[in-house]
Formats: sequence, C-alpha cells, structure tokens
Amino acid sequence: MVELTVDGRTIQATEGELLVHVLARNGVFVPTLCHDAKLDPYGGCRVCVVEVEGAPRPVPACATRAAQGMAISTNGRAEKLRRTLTEMLLTEHLNANPGGRPNELVGLAEELGAEAPFILPDAKREPYEDRNRLMGYDPDACILCNRCVRYTQEVMQCSALSLEGRGPEARIVPTWDRSWLDTECELCGGCLSVCPTGAIYEKFEEGFPANREVQLDKVKTTCTFCGVGCQIDLNVDRETNRIVKVTSDPSYLPNEGDLCVKGRFAFNFVHHPDRLTEPLVRGEDGELHETSWEHALAVAAKGLEEVRDRHGPQSIGFLASARLTMEENFLIQKLARAVIGTNSVHSCEAT
Amino acid sequence: MGRGASTNSIPEIDDDRFLLVIGSNTTEAHPVLALRMKKAVRNGATLVVADPRKIWLTKIAKRHLQLRPGTDVWLLNAIMHVILEEGLQDEEYIRAHTEDFEAVREIVKRYPPEQAERMTGVPAEDIRATAREYAAEKYAAVFYTLGITEHACAVDNVWSLSNLVLMTGHLGYESTGLNALRGQNNVQGLNDAGANPSYLPGYQSLTDPEVVLKFEERWGAKVPQTPGYRLDQMISGLHDGRIKGLYLVGENPAHTEPNAHHVEEGLERVEFMVAQDLFLNETTRDHADVVFPASSFAEKEGTFTNTERRVNRVRKALDSPGSAREDWRIVVDFANALGAGWWYETAEDIWNEFADLSPNWSGIRYDRLEEVGLQWPCTDLDHPGSRFLHAPRPDRAGGRAKFFPVEYQPPIEQPDSEFPFVLSTGRTLYHYNSAGMTMREPGVTDKQVEPFFEISAEDASNLGLEEGDLARLVSRRGELEAEARITERVYPGLVWMALHFAQAKVNWLTHDVGDPLIGTPEYKVSAVRIERA
Ligand code: SF4
Ligand code: SF4
Ligand code: SF4
Ligand code: FES
Repeated sequence: MVELTVDGRTIQATEGELLVHVLARNGVFVPTLCHDAKLDPYGGCRVCVVEVEGAPRPVPACATRAAQGMAISTNGRAEKLRRTLTEMLLTEHLNANPGGRPNELVGLAEELGAEAPFILPDAKREPYEDRNRLMGYDPDACILCNRCVRYTQEVMQCSALSLEGRGPEARIVPTWDRSWLDTECELCGGCLSVCPTGAIYEKFEEGFPANREVQLDKVKTTCTFCGVGCQIDLNVDRETNRIVKVTSDPSYLPNEGDLCVKGRFAFNFVHHPDRLTEPLVRGEDGELHETSWEHALAVAAKGLEEVRDRHGPQSIGFLASARLTMEENFLIQKLARAVIGTNSVHSCEAT
Repeated sequence: MGRGASTNSIPEIDDDRFLLVIGSNTTEAHPVLALRMKKAVRNGATLVVADPRKIWLTKIAKRHLQLRPGTDVWLLNAIMHVILEEGLQDEEYIRAHTEDFEAVREIVKRYPPEQAERMTGVPAEDIRATAREYAAEKYAAVFYTLGITEHACAVDNVWSLSNLVLMTGHLGYESTGLNALRGQNNVQGLNDAGANPSYLPGYQSLTDPEVVLKFEERWGAKVPQTPGYRLDQMISGLHDGRIKGLYLVGENPAHTEPNAHHVEEGLERVEFMVAQDLFLNETTRDHADVVFPASSFAEKEGTFTNTERRVNRVRKALDSPGSAREDWRIVVDFANALGAGWWYETAEDIWNEFADLSPNWSGIRYDRLEEVGLQWPCTDLDHPGSRFLHAPRPDRAGGRAKFFPVEYQPPIEQPDSEFPFVLSTGRTLYHYNSAGMTMREPGVTDKQVEPFFEISAEDASNLGLEEGDLARLVSRRGELEAEARITERVYPGLVWMALHFAQAKVNWLTHDVGDPLIGTPEYKVSAVRIERA
C-alpha cells in the first residue's frame, strides 16, 4: 500500500495501480476515451490528464501508476487542458452517430461544456465499401484512439484491423488491403464493443432507423449457442417487438462483455418467417396441417396413449434437448417417468 | 471423478500457468472461453495443444502434440509413464486422497514414449517435455471437449485424463483441475435435470430406495424401475420394434446422429411421434404426427447452466410468434392432456421443485440469480456456490478419488486399401450443430456456407484436386459431395468435415458404434475414400 493525495485529500492505493482506477474507486471523475481496463495502458488521447507535483507536464491517469507520496491535482490546469483536447477532437468529428451506438466523446463534451470551435477544413475522410454485412466503420466518427486495433491484437488476437496513414488521412482499415470480411476477422464484434464513439457500428437490416438507441429495451439473459454461457443484453424495439442487436457489459460474468459471432449476431433466427406459429397435425393425406392447440394436444395424447396401451410404457422414448432450459428438461424427464412410466429419456447431445 | 462437470471456473483461466488443451478446438467451439486462454498465454502461461489438426490455438502454443485420431489413451498413458519414471507424481496427494493408484502404475509401465511416438505420431521428446512441465506447475489446468469424448472409447479417454490429474494432485484449488468444456449451451443443465436414463434429477440414484421414495412422494407417482434406453438404444429399438413412440423436443436425430441413413430408416417405422420445435426439420417434416410450435430462448423464463456449473437466468424479452408457446408450457399442457393434473404456473415453480429435490442445488433460487449466476454445489441459502470442486478433498464417498487403469483400444474402423483416409468430424465457429438456427443468419453465413472438407496439399495433389474442387467422399455407409479446402490444418491421410450441412450430411458417412458404457457415438474416426466428383 502507498499513500498519495488527490486534490488535497489523502488516499491509499496499491503500488503500481493505474491512477485512473485509484481515482474512480475514490469517487473522483476523470474522463477517458482511449482507456479500456481490458487493454494494456496506452495513454493516447490524453483526455484523462491530471497534474502530478514535480512532473513537468500533466500526465495521463490511465497510463500512470500510483507511487508513494504522489500529489495529484485533477482540476485547475488539467481540467482546462481536458476541455481543449476534447474541443480538438470535435473539430474532426463530423458524424456523431453512424449506427446509433452510445458516443462517449459527445457525452464528454456535454459534461465539460465543450464545443467544436471550428471544423477542420480537411476533416472529411474517405469511407470504404466493405462486404461485411454485420459491422460498418465510419471514419468521420473515428477519433483514432486505437482501442479497436488494440482489442484485435491483445484480446482477440485476430490481426484483422490496423491504423493506416497520418494526419487527415488516418483511418482504421482491414489489414493487407482486403475487405474486412476476407481478413482473419471472425465477426466477434469485440472491436465494435470497445469503440468509444460508435465509429464501428452494427449494420442493421434495411430500413431500420439507426438513431433509436434510446428506445431500445435491454433484457439481460444468457446466450443460447454454447456452454460458455455468456451474459448478454437483448436490445428490443418495443414498437416492432424485434431484437435489434445484442450487447454485453464488462461487469457481466463469465464473459466480461466479450462475445463471439454467434452470441452477438446470430439472433435473427428468432424472427425467421419459417418459425412454426400454429400446432400441426398429420392428416389422412399424409401432410401436416395447422390446427388448434386443443385438437393437437388431444391427438398427441391419444396417439401416445394408444402406443403405451398396445406396447407398454417401455416402447416410448423421449428426447430432451440441450437447447432448452433446465426447467424444461426437468419436466420432460418427469413426463417420461411419472406420467408415461419409462426411464427412456435422453438427448442427441449428451456431451 | 464422480461427475461430468468442469472442476474449475472460467475466470480462473486468467491465472493458469500451464494449459493442456486436448481434443478441444476452443477458439471455434467456446470462443469467449478461448479469449481467457489467449490472455493467460499473453501473460506468460505455457500452452500445449493435443489435436490431430493444426487448430488456431497451435499458433500461440509452445507445443503441438499432433496425435493420430483415436490415440489419446496412448498419448496420455505415455505422459503418465514419464511422470512415474521420473518420480514427478504427487505422492502426498495420492496417499491422502486417492485409491487404486498401483493399478495405473502397472499399466502405464507398458506405454513408453518411444513406442508412443510410433503409435500416436507425437515425438517422444515432446511427450517427455509436456509431462515434466505439467507435473512441475501448480497452476496447471486440463481442458477437453467432444474431441475426446466422441470416440468409441470416450469413457476411457476421460478416465485417462482423470488419472493424470490425480497423480499430480492438480485438483481442489483455483486455476487447475480437469475441465470438460460442454458443447451446447445447456448440456450441463440437461444432465443436471436428469434427462438421462440412468439417474434421477441431480445425479441421484434410481436404485436407492430412499431417493426414489422422496421423488415418488413429491410427484405422487411411481418412479419406474425398469432401466431406460439411451439414444443409441432407442434408435436400434426403432429397428427391432422395441420403440414404437417418440416424443422429441427440439431435436433432429436424422441429422445429428451418426449413420444417418440407418436413423432415417428407423424413423420410418415409428408408430407415433410427437415433437415440439421452432422449425420443421428433416425428422419432423417426414415422420411427426403432431408438431407443437415452441419458443426460442428469447421468449421464455428459465435457466441455462454453463460449463463451469453456473446456473444463469434466461429471461423473456419477446412474445412468441402466432400461438407458439414456451416449451415448458407445452410439456405441462401435454401432461395434463394425459390427465397428470400438473399445476406449474411459472418456470420458477419448476425450478423450485428441482431444487427442493436435489441437495446440491437446494440453495439456488431465482432471487439469488438476479445479478450473477450461482455455481453448484450450493447446498443452502447462505452457501456462496462453488468456484471449484473437490476441495478440500475429492468429492466422492469416502473422500478418495479412484484411479481407473485404461488400456488403449484402437479405433473401431481403421483405414484400409479400399477406404484409405481417416475422416474426422467436428463443428465450426459459424454454426451450431445441425444449424437449424445459424444457417438462417444472413451476415454470419457470409463467412462460410458451402459444404467443404479439409485435406492436406499432398493428398489433394495425389488425387488431382485443387482448392474448391468438388469431390465425393465415400464410406461403407454412404457418400456425399463437398468442396476441397486445401490446408495445413490436417496432415496427409486425415480429412476433416463439419457437421452442419443439410445437403451433405457427414453423418451419412460416420458409423454408429458407440462407447459401450455411455453410448456416445464415434463421430471422430471413420474410414473413407475420396473421388473427384
Ligand atoms: S470483429 Fe472481432 S475478429 Fe473481427 S476484427 Fe473485430 S475483434 Fe477482430
Ligand atoms: S474506430 Fe473507434 S475504437 Fe477504433 S480508433 Fe476509431 S474511435 Fe477508436
Ligand atoms: S457468445 Fe459465443 S462464446 Fe459466448 S456463450 Fe454465446 S456462443 Fe458461446
Ligand atoms: S484515456 Fe487516458 S490517454 Fe486516453
């Protein structure tokens, strides 16, 4: 443990802990943009600067480590510098909302009362067309904080994106001049989830208005695609009763906000037109026909009862499913054992 | 080791210092869990991958043990051979917490690394180095998945791993253990729920009179005492007439089961079939008499239990389309149509019955799952859940874990002059088993949609195949066509194909002789020949 002072207040910290985390724990607000607790310290955007006694210049709190006796000041000169830096970023920020994702830069500007003093004449950067139908990138929203690229390198280790060019030309691009879809990208959406401005965004199906973030209702649940059991938020548009996108949060266990392509993007099956909507019963003609629940339940019950009466309970097998909930599988085995009278209950994927 | 469950937790992977990943293509089958492995390696952990294919993880592995499919027992016994030969075992742990160690010592003597090299294709030096590193590192964890369980000798493979973990005392604390990575989202919950012919919910005995009485009292019904059929026995039962009726819940055996033609013939003989599902599939379209429209995970309340035994809540976000109902409601309605008189009104009612009846879950209740899931065992309302198992001693009657000596059994079907290639199967990142759900995703299928198989450059050139050429794969049971994908992921003599394609079902080719104990079919090794199409 070390002792340091923050704006005159004495606080304790673990030696080597990043200042940004020490401050947050003690209720001191220092904004960040390029910082991500998942990634290595970077110190690129400098909106988190604080003054440390004895240091010649303000230092980024996200890349400076706590040491004994540090005297830190978060207001005054540092605060002014933060506002100036934010204003500089805004001079190139032509599109604040390409895909309806939350924009931390806009939030920060509001917080600090910062506005773009002017728009840089060469702010406009060329977008590029890409075959990726799930994610898009808008250079006019990008602040070049490199969080996306660092995620690809440090967490996903996919080498799909890189920062290209300098100054007004700089953009995030797929590696080796390929289409994003043809890189090593596995469409996990991790780079998207860490992008603070929404410059990388989910592409929506045709006709979906992108700026409706506020109206989306988040329902926390568990991904349905594998045994990791990632915790996700289904973002539902209540007007259309459809899932618009899937997000997660760094506070969720066990995935800490990370997802894979299935968890993040494979939700359209829920709304697929092939979904069964009415019970089906096979008719005399050998085809399946829609019918009422009452009728279907009666036919099903009679059919299996007759099999049981003719051949005994052992002649009926039940296949439960790893896709269904625990509760449903419990009921299916109870149906087999307590109602039909057989232990023959199993599933296709018992592993 | 008693239960089919991971001993340790997913977040603990961050602090693993040594990881042995055997038969698990983790980056594709469990992508987010694999992120933790990547992180551990980035922080300096040693990763060893044992897999016939050069899977992604081999890129960051210190060593790739590229064993021939089906030779896992040889490899593992040879690793244990080295450990015992060099005295690297944890004598203290073996003495205090295990039994029958001597039997394993005797057997593994016959598995020296030099001979293992001939059998498995893995250099003896790599076997030795792996044995030394694993035995020396305290925070060493083993991960396995279908790669190791989908063999005719599935149970043997798991026992081998268990022997290895026990003799080095890698059990009962954080960042270690034997971790079975469960395939589908709720395989753990499915098994915990007792959807298995050989035990009651909560892995409770069907033959213990006290247990049976407890269930009978709660259910007001008899628990049948005749042993039930496993899936493979149900399918053979369709052929020989023992099975006449089927109730299928969201399953598609005509696609997912090996020797699919044989399954289809069996299904044709069924007298009456009831199904509940989201979509029609090959099985129900042709064979079901009644199909109930069911609900997706987004349309219901309930729980899924993940591979680290964590019970997570599933929450309803949407109404179901049309008159579709939650699966649990369908089961209730159907039971009531049979006169059962069930009264459940919510998924929570069902959970509570399960938890009341199952001691290891009795402390888990919905109100405790709001923020974050709980890991079983969790025996009362104050129990915080269990991050890792077998602490402070193995969780088995008498507090001692048992060694099971395992001898190598060759795969049932060996390549020969007529069918010279070994065909191994598996899943890919972009799809989910029979892909009823994922094949319907635009965007996602952009990455991969045509049936393909992986083949080495050497074999491809001998056959005159170029990248993307259509080829015919023929086994003793069937044939299919798929595009050749030439890759160094497989070695000469081995071809690999994914399970997901409806128009080219690899299960037309695979055989259905399974593990005699648990009936897991041998998806991983079949013999095929390849012709230009
Ligand atoms: S989506 Fe995932 S895989 Fe693709 S570039 Fe981003 S981080 Fe890499
Ligand atoms: S795309 Fe987003 S994360 Fe990447 S550099 Fe631009 S603003 Fe930062
Ligand atoms: S998001 Fe991916 S890794 Fe996570 S549970 Fe879903 S399928 Fe598994
Ligand atoms: S957040 Fe600290 S430098 Fe960007």
